[in-house]
Amino acid sequence: MNHGLGARLGHAASYGFLLVLLVVVLFPFYWMTVTALKSEEQMRSLASMFWPDPVVLDNFRHLLAQTDFVAWFKNSVLVAVASTFLATAIGTIGAYSLARLRFLGRAFMSSAVLITYLVPPSILFIPLYAQIRNLGLADSLAGLIAAYPSFTVPFVTWLLMGYFESIPEELEEAAMIDGATRFGAFARVVLPLAAPGVLAAGLYAFTQAWNEFLYALVFITNVKLRTLPVGLSSFITGDVYGWGFLMAGAVLTTLPVIAAYIYLQKYMVEGLTAGSVKG
Amino acid sequence: MATPAARLPVRAALDRREAGVALRRVLGHDYRLGFLFVAPIILLVLALVAYPFGYAIYLSLTRKYVGVPPVWVGFDNYVKLTWDGFFQRAVVNSFIFTFGSVSVKLLLGMAMALVLTSQIRFRSFWTGVLLIPWVAPTVVSALNFLWIYDYSLGVLNYLLVRVFGLLPQGVGWLSEPGTAMASVIAVNIWRGFPFFGISFLAAMKAIPAELYEAAAVDGAGPVQRFWRVTLPGVKNITIIVVLLSTIWTFNDFQIVYILTKGGPGGATQVLPVLTYEIAFGAQRLGEAIAVALYMLPPLAVVIIVLARYMRRGQKA
Repeated sequence: MNHGLGARLGHAASYGFLLVLLVVVLFPFYWMTVTALKSEEQMRSLASMFWPDPVVLDNFRHLLAQTDFVAWFKNSVLVAVASTFLATAIGTIGAYSLARLRFLGRAFMSSAVLITYLVPPSILFIPLYAQIRNLGLADSLAGLIAAYPSFTVPFVTWLLMGYFESIPEELEEAAMIDGATRFGAFARVVLPLAAPGVLAAGLYAFTQAWNEFLYALVFITNVKLRTLPVGLSSFITGDVYGWGFLMAGAVLTTLPVIAAYIYLQKYMVEGLTAGSVKG
Repeated sequence: MATPAARLPVRAALDRREAGVALRRVLGHDYRLGFLFVAPIILLVLALVAYPFGYAIYLSLTRKYVGVPPVWVGFDNYVKLTWDGFFQRAVVNSFIFTFGSVSVKLLLGMAMALVLTSQIRFRSFWTGVLLIPWVAPTVVSALNFLWIYDYSLGVLNYLLVRVFGLLPQGVGWLSEPGTAMASVIAVNIWRGFPFFGISFLAAMKAIPAELYEAAAVDGAGPVQRFWRVTLPGVKNITIIVVLLSTIWTFNDFQIVYILTKGGPGGATQVLPVLTYEIAFGAQRLGEAIAVALYMLPPLAVVIIVLARYMRRGQKA
């Protein structure tokens, strides 16, 4: 009896803890959305703090019509999509090679990829900027597309190396005994099996590129060429009015990532724990 | 019967095959596809990481202003920094920021994983929702918190003063030296703890149930089972996640940059933001890179140790 009560109390405490975490985790997003839907007068008067009354779309209208938000959105999409494809393609074949094929320098390259993944951008951003400028890509989206693989490729490669290693080697061997070339075995047997991992890796590459701030802040000076994170942060004015459309922009910036995450959550959670930090 | 003319191509082909075999012996069985497939990565690492990194080390040994050729000064930048009050303060702040964030993320993440491995309904729902701060754009989250912390219209002061009546008046969370550091640390924790939780959860799920059963048969209570079974089972992942997060947190730029830009009066100035300000505010590139590279020796040690653990984890 006593034991049952203790277990039930522990159970209640578990749910209580989760509920507190849930509120803490979700509140900033709730608050961002509520703010985006409030009128300026309501915000100034602190009336009906936790619910927009009335619900207005003025902030969104202002954001889309009066600011460069739409251009920034397009820039972000272009940069994130292009660098994701680049990173996923390079990372997938590279990871397969490092996980499976036998060649001189494989162990060294595997370590190099991992160490590259661990070197933080705050050390690299100044010399990388100089490098991008030398290539004639300063102040252009191409410069960002070229620079982002410096962190997405090592991450994708590392994540997929773990994934490829978990696929039984016998499957490829069987295909090769049946006459497939090594490349054929990779393309027709291994790649389809690794599709969930590739998808997860691609999603993370996209998220990283979509969220990137430091390089975009440093490499781009033209206002029209900003990406969303840098553009949004340039809205900080300290004025009440600014907060309305800043939060509207925040909602629209978060939406694509969260939508993809909700839809493909299974792959992302599994991908994160399968490849990058398998212990 | 083969004529010499017909035999020759065969001999040449055989020679080539032999050479191929020898090449394979030196370069490895799959060297052709192997090299072809890693070539893009090698190029990328050389062009975008190795070369810039070497160039950074060189620049840190020069006096370099934007648009002017660098002048060699040896270790001057580093020596000057060592005695620079702003730099010293940023080093101390970086350590406080990192230690404060990582330790709380570790505890919260462990608690989250323990609760999620217990008999709980809708586990994948909880897991999914709790991971959201980790996937959401960090800049957006930092902006959200900037607004939440706002002195006059922020919801935090509203809650504490008007709703719960815990404080007589609002606090300038980010503008007062006493609260600014704790406030930026809180945002870093908010964003980073789900990664700890999800990693621990995966490691705990991998602990065989028989171990717990055996411990229970031997009379171990829940607390003992945690110390004797759970903790040893997540030891490796804990080392990996703590080191990984230490690197990320120590080098976190966006949260501090968006929330305080290092203020008020340098109270939250950390090394990455100082690097940025010296480089693009003061335009002193050599000195800025020296700030970024000053902590390279300990960082390199952390990276090498971490890489060892991660390689071992992946092979297991």
